[in-house]
Amino acid sequence: MTTPKIPNSVPTSFGNSAASRPGSLGPARLAGVAAFLALVFVAVPLGIAASGRWDFYYTLTSVALLSIASAGVWLTFYIGRINIGQGAYALAGGYVSAVLITQVGMSFWLTLPLAGLACAGLAVLIGLPILRLRGVYFAMVTLVLTEVARLSALALPVTNGAKGITSIPLPGELSVLGLTIIPDFATLEDPKLAFYLVAVALMCLSYLALWRIVNSRLGHLCRSLQQNEELAASIGVNTAHLRVLAYAISSFFGGVAGAMFVSISQSIYPSSFQVADSVNFMLNCFLGGLGYVFGPMLGTLLLYFGWDLLFTTGQYQMLIYSSAMIVLMLVLPNGLLSLFDRKGGGK
Amino acid sequence: MTPILQVKGITKRYGGLTAVNEVSFDVAEGEILSVIGPNGAGKSTLFKLISSFVTPTSGEVLFKGDRISGLAPHQVARKGVVRTFQETTIFRSMTVRENVIVAHHLRSRASLLGFFLGTSLARQDEAEFGASADGIIDFLGMGAIRDELASNLPQGHLRALGMAIGLATNPRILLLDEPFAGMNHDETMRMVGLVRRLRDERGVTVLLVEHDMPAVMKISDRIVVINFGQKIAEGTPAEIQSNEKVIEAYLGSEDAAIGM
Amino acid sequence: MEQILANGLYLGAQYALIALGLTLIFSLMNVLNFAHGQMYVMGGFVTYTVVAQFGLPFIVGLLASAVVLAVIGAVCERFLFRTVIKRSKREESTMLLAAGIAFFLDAVILLVFGEKQRGVPKIVDGVFNWDMRLIMPYDRILIGALAIAMVVGFILFMQYSRTGRAMRALAQDRMAAQLMGVDVDRYSMIGFALGAMLAGIVGGLLVTITGINLGMGGPTSVKAFLMIMIGGAGVISGAIAGGFILGMMESIGLTLLAAYGDVTYLAIFATLLVFLAIRPQGLMGKPWG
Ligand SMILES: Nc1ncnc2c1ncn2[C@@H]1O[C@H](COP(=O)(O)OP(=O)(O)OP(=O)(O)O)[C@@H](O)[C@H]1O
Ligand SMILES: [Mg+2]
Repeated sequence: MTTPKIPNSVPTSFGNSAASRPGSLGPARLAGVAAFLALVFVAVPLGIAASGRWDFYYTLTSVALLSIASAGVWLTFYIGRINIGQGAYALAGGYVSAVLITQVGMSFWLTLPLAGLACAGLAVLIGLPILRLRGVYFAMVTLVLTEVARLSALALPVTNGAKGITSIPLPGELSVLGLTIIPDFATLEDPKLAFYLVAVALMCLSYLALWRIVNSRLGHLCRSLQQNEELAASIGVNTAHLRVLAYAISSFFGGVAGAMFVSISQSIYPSSFQVADSVNFMLNCFLGGLGYVFGPMLGTLLLYFGWDLLFTTGQYQMLIYSSAMIVLMLVLPNGLLSLFDRKGGGK
Repeated sequence: MTPILQVKGITKRYGGLTAVNEVSFDVAEGEILSVIGPNGAGKSTLFKLISSFVTPTSGEVLFKGDRISGLAPHQVARKGVVRTFQETTIFRSMTVRENVIVAHHLRSRASLLGFFLGTSLARQDEAEFGASADGIIDFLGMGAIRDELASNLPQGHLRALGMAIGLATNPRILLLDEPFAGMNHDETMRMVGLVRRLRDERGVTVLLVEHDMPAVMKISDRIVVINFGQKIAEGTPAEIQSNEKVIEAYLGSEDAAIGM
Repeated sequence: MEQILANGLYLGAQYALIALGLTLIFSLMNVLNFAHGQMYVMGGFVTYTVVAQFGLPFIVGLLASAVVLAVIGAVCERFLFRTVIKRSKREESTMLLAAGIAFFLDAVILLVFGEKQRGVPKIVDGVFNWDMRLIMPYDRILIGALAIAMVVGFILFMQYSRTGRAMRALAQDRMAAQLMGVDVDRYSMIGFALGAMLAGIVGGLLVTITGINLGMGGPTSVKAFLMIMIGGAGVISGAIAGGFILGMMESIGLTLLAAYGDVTYLAIFATLLVFLAIRPQGLMGKPWG
């Protein structure tokens, strides 16, 4: 009888399963990504130019930015936490950027990562105590956080209370070694296209990052955390550390999205992001499916367009939207993509 | 030679209930030591104390002379003291292979950022984990089900997978809580052989809690018996089988009579 | 000092009543009722309609609020939550359902009552003045006393009535209650109705003092969450403790921190973070995990 020996590590081959690893870029995937990039960067601008529906730029830019914030929420879901606090970080990121631009005179492009980092830092402070909570309890605190962020924006001197911060200048030029990468938005004829391109580029970067996270060791560890925190600890995972890390990354996304939003609307108020936004971020993830990296992007697109279509219903917009949400929960309590679960099976 | 593990007067109280009461014993390197006792005697609690999943009310645990009680569970695991769970605890929505790969966490040399960026060190790590996981899976005879989703596995395989996860961390001491539960006689005997080889080939010290007496008697170098949280006996299988107190404790309970 | 305490007590009584409803629903069905604040606003508007529009006595308005909200609560449980709980695999489904109901109620309130601030005339006039040390209008004293009486009534109801006991059994262990012959569906519905009713009653009480408007729903829910986090979710004593503690903190904060702008809630949240780090299950909650 020959039972194999336990190897003293150091392998020879990667094994045949390497090709099918989800982390690798197969040709089919590569083609999909290329098609997607062509769609958002070429086809959409061409289509809009042809149809003359310039207002679509605003809608699509919003979708892109909201889907970045939703990506963050999705990552918190990925470690098994229900996050209804992303609105707080979007608001905080927006204010960080607005204050740095208007009071320090910093370039918008510098404030963008700084807003993300500030939110990540904040998330570490807040996350350390609250990430020990689970389920409904965590959800509750994060929801409270959104409201507290709004109240703080109303109260703190630096945020200028209910009047908010307005007339924020458009993003200036971004140049490296004298080479202009992004021109000064104020000199552009129509900054709408520019904002769209920047927002979509940010979205692509964010989802690339998210996809890498999920398919690298960090993502595997997050999954282990989601499925069983005790077992994760027993294999040596520093669960507290990992939770805070994931939450900080998630909040980074929220902060960046918020900052970018502010530069488009050139203003921010305490009510710019509130509880309803936090709930919608969660809904985006849920609608798009929690098992798929690109789920939140799909969810945001569907939800935002749905909301926009309902605009014509005037005062009944909210009523119809909320009724649809209730019906959705009744009919598909496990999300839109659960429709495919039956035939899919397994992974 | 100092023992690899020293349990010194460890006590755990839950409110009025003393789950573990002043238990002390030493474990020598490379030993297979079983902890037995009736249901509710405090065996699982003892393992949780050793792996630092619960903090002792008093007393301490030393690993290679260093105090490990009070550390976080992942720090204890990092030192090489790793427990498996009494309940079949695995990552349910991962495949068998993914379960074992993710459990290689402690062996990674690349940082999380390195993995994110896909540096060559990270890729080396990944390749190593994959190969090592395959080795462990084959060792435990689960090669045929390596790509099966863990939630679809039958009880016996779940136990083996729990052990595979423990092994993947490259432990110095492995604490197995009822590793043979839910297995039939043949499976149990095969696992007994595997645990033995684990010790013989890799020098892993094994502590185990088990109710299957024939298996315990066969596998153990030494046995510690606890009852109502207290250690009532310690010795070789032969000594334990003829110990009055032990027989009394077992006859007093509804547990199966001790013996081969 | 006396003033702060009295204000805190007055606020705390209202808050405790709101938190009781939320915690009752949570303990029975493990549902976090996001729409609780909207139910409170709804209650305020019903009382307003009955008293200010129809010119009926205040007590009729209060009763109308109680009945309307009880019906809304019962319907939500029977036709929405029950279905979703049975069919869903994840906790967030009921949360999103509750959020949907919150949006829905907001929309209904907007359509039916408009977005204006509404109030009813004072039910009693005059101000209690103790040497300028403690000043409080009589209507506040009356409303505060009513709220405290209702908290006491609720506790007695839960302790001694058949229904109350059944609900407590249900909250403790659903399975065991079922085995003991408690009609789980029926008492879940009653519990939900009762919780919603409490929210409606507080809305009816407060419309006489602070008035009511559409925007109060969300913030009220958030306050209610804060309270049950302080006190411990799903525990009656916790809801009451949380309510009074938040009332006191608000009262103290508004007095002491007034000079620094309205940072009371920031301070309360920061305190909560520290508190949760030490005691994640809240004051009275049972430890879990
Ligand atoms: N977290 C806890 N809180 C309160 N009591 C506990 C806790 N964990 C264990 N106990 C109690 O401690 C005692 C010992 O439990 P333990 O699980 O260690 O027993 P055991 O020997 O492993 O039993 P078994 O053979 O059934 O696995 C039991 O009475 C149990 O009820
Ligand atoms: Mg046990």
